Formats: sequence, C-alpha cells, structure tokens
Amino acid sequence: MATSGQLMFARRLGPPARLLIWLAIGVSCLVVDVRYHALDGVRNGFSALLLPVREMMRTPLDVAAELGGFFTRHRLLQNERDTLLAERARLAVGVNAAHELGRENAELRALLKLQTRPGQQLVHAALLYQGHDWFAQRITLDQGSGAGLRSGLPVVDASGLVGQVSRVDAGSSEVTLVSSPEQLTPVFVERTGQRGLAAGSGRDQLELRYMPIHADIRPGDRLLTSGIDRVYPAGVPVARVSRVSRSQSSPYLRVEGVPLAGLDRSHAVLVLVAVPPPVQPTPPQATPTKATPP
Amino acid sequence: MSTAPQAGGGWPRILTSLTLALLLEQLPWSGWALVVRPDFVLVGVLFWVLHQPARIGFGTAFFVGLLADFQYGAVFGQHAIAYVIGVYMVLFVRLRLLQFDPLRQAAQLFPILFAVQLIVLLVGWLAVKPPTGLTILLPVLSNTVLWLLIAGWLRLWHGKGSQDRA
Repeated sequence: MATSGQLMFARRLGPPARLLIWLAIGVSCLVVDVRYHALDGVRNGFSALLLPVREMMRTPLDVAAELGGFFTRHRLLQNERDTLLAERARLAVGVNAAHELGRENAELRALLKLQTRPGQQLVHAALLYQGHDWFAQRITLDQGSGAGLRSGLPVVDASGLVGQVSRVDAGSSEVTLVSSPEQLTPVFVERTGQRGLAAGSGRDQLELRYMPIHADIRPGDRLLTSGIDRVYPAGVPVARVSRVSRSQSSPYLRVEGVPLAGLDRSHAVLVLVAVPPPVQPTPPQATPTKATPP
Repeated sequence: MSTAPQAGGGWPRILTSLTLALLLEQLPWSGWALVVRPDFVLVGVLFWVLHQPARIGFGTAFFVGLLADFQYGAVFGQHAIAYVIGVYMVLFVRLRLLQFDPLRQAAQLFPILFAVQLIVLLVGWLAVKPPTGLTILLPVLSNTVLWLLIAGWLRLWHGKGSQDRA
C-alpha cells in the first residue's frame, strides 16, 4: 500500500514529454543568444573550463613537433639561417626606406592637415583550434581580451590577411576567415588600383563582387585591402585572382580568387591592434563587421 | 540481447568514456582529419542512452550539445537541440536496437546520426540566416484543406460509405 506522501503510480515523464521540455529549453537558448546576446557569460564560462583542457591536449602534438625539430640536420639549420640572414639584410633596407617614407608622409599629412592614420600594435597569437561549422569558417586563437583584442580587429599571417576577430573571450578569441561565406573585405587590384569588394565563398575561395564587365583584371592579379573601411589597414595582401569569367546573365564579371594567407595551415598569426582605436562604425554597420551576424 | 553488454555501465565507466570523448574532440584537428573526424561525444552519449537510459538521457545530451555549440562557435542551442532529438530517436527504437548485432546496429544508427546532422543544419539556418517570413509554410495548411475537400468530395461523389478496398 502506498503510504502517505508517496505517490502510488509515480512514474517519470515519457520520452515525448521530456523531449518537448528540452526542445523548449533549447529554443529559448537560441532566442536568448541570437536576439539578446545574453549568453556570453556562459560562453566565457565554457571558455575558462575548456581552455586548460585544450592547452593540455595540444601538448602531444607540440612534443612531437619538438622531437621532430630536435632531430633536424645541422646542415639544414645552417642553410636556413643563411637564407634568413640574407632576407633580413634585404628587409632592413626596405624598412629604412619605409621609415623615411613614413616620416615624410607624416609631415605631408601635417602640412595638409589630414587626420593621422592610427598606429598599430601587433599581438602574436597561435592557432588553438579549428572549428567546423555549417555557416562560417572560423578558427580559435589562444589570445583574448587579456591581450587587448577586440572583436573586429584584422588578423594577418606572414603572407596575407587571415580574417577578422569575431568574438573575444577572456583567454581565447574566434576569427572569421576571409574565405568564410559572406565575409566581406574591401580590396583593390594591385596592378590597376581598381577597388572592389571581396566576399568569401567558402571552400577556401574568394569572389570579387561587382566588377564591371570591361574591368581590366586578369588571373594572377593580387588583391590588397583598400583600407577604405578603416577596419583593415591598407595594403595587406588578400588573394590572388585565379579565374575570370563572364556570364551571359550577369552584368558583372565573375572573378574568383585564392586567399594568400595559409588559412588553415599557418599556426602563428598576428592580430593588428590599432592604437588609438579607429572610429567605431555607426549602428548601420560598416561592411566587414556586419558580415557575420553573431 | 545477443551482443549488447547490458551490464557494465556504472557511473565511473560512463563518466570516463564521456570525458575521454570530450578530450578527443579537444585535440587540435585540422585538414582532412577534421573533415572526417567523428563526433565522439555524440556517439558516446547515444551509446549510453542505448545501454543506460536511466542514467544518461536528455539532460546530459543537452549539456554536451551546449559544449559542442561553444566549441564550434555556433549559436547556443544549435547542437543541443539536435542531440536531444537524437536521444529521443534512439529511445524510440531502443528495444529493437538492443536485439541487433553491431553491424545492424550501426546501420540503424546511420539515419539517426544523419538526422541529427540535418537538424544542426536546419536549426543553424533558422537561427543564423532566418528566412524572411514563415509565410512559405502557409501552403501546408491550404494543402491540408485541399486534401480534405478532395477526399470529401470524392466520397460524396461515389456515395456514402464507399471505401477503397484495394
């Protein structure tokens, strides 16, 4: 017999009921996150929780790389050192010229009473994790707001633009790659100076949008950031044009490009932190920042 | 219940296996390995739902789904919803699954895992790029009404109570 306080036919909710409850919770999570961005605390919590784990799981590979590096041949290292020294000498000349040009530019700007360009500070970051998502190509870096990162900052590697910081936690940050779908980058063609808008198309490719049909553009042309949006500094290599074709139905050329940066290969990247911070875009946002709705 | 080890699921074993799955996913995968990498955590959760439904269920799946959302930089709830639906589907066919040998179990799980991935896609699509309106769903209603009209009219036409006995 059932004693008082104990249900006679107590049973758990059936799976459909429980499914509905959890679905309701899930949908409310979605709404709260998408509409009100109120779950950043949870994200930070997970980040703090998982960061040490990720660091730890990276060690086997790091150790393997260390061991591999330890056994490289002496001759190889010497050769590499010689090429690096030669390259450094060559670069030093360029840097001197650039300093001189920079000084001259600053003077001219002062004379013309133009606004000075924001200076830059570099933050080194390492690739921590490569996500895979249906809708965006993102990587996670091991530096976060602690190192002065903000969302919207450009990320480059030795050969070109990698992407844009899209979300920042305390100890890590997410970067949306240039090739991510709908990531827009204002660029210009290096050879002709014609400006355009590069949009990621996924699959490690870019697409140069709205190029008039008679535009002078050929496979092999380099695309550099135009700096017109004040998000990316001008002159960072973005992509190399791989194919130019013309379609009957569209008034524009179809221009495809391959990103220059090693988007998923480069393990060390630089984040360009502008000091002082550039003008924040007004609520109808500038093009690259609206590219990834959170 | 030929092959399925029904016993052998104490809390320590469950927690160890799920933690291991979680750790495996934290490895810095890249390139092809990333593309073909299985979703260890999802497989782990579904396995324990199959064998220990009293211990591992919707709650665990939901939490683990939130972790996956964080990990993939997705909207919170995207994977959680999909995992929860996956758990429901496994519970739905659980008794049948337990009868099968591993090969058939895997074959039966394929559509479930496929559905989970599709739901991730669908939820993400609704959340990230919401459609301009849900009016595209209205034809579902009108289709139903049309069905009612046709079926009713046919029944009237052929006389009351006439039924297809093919």
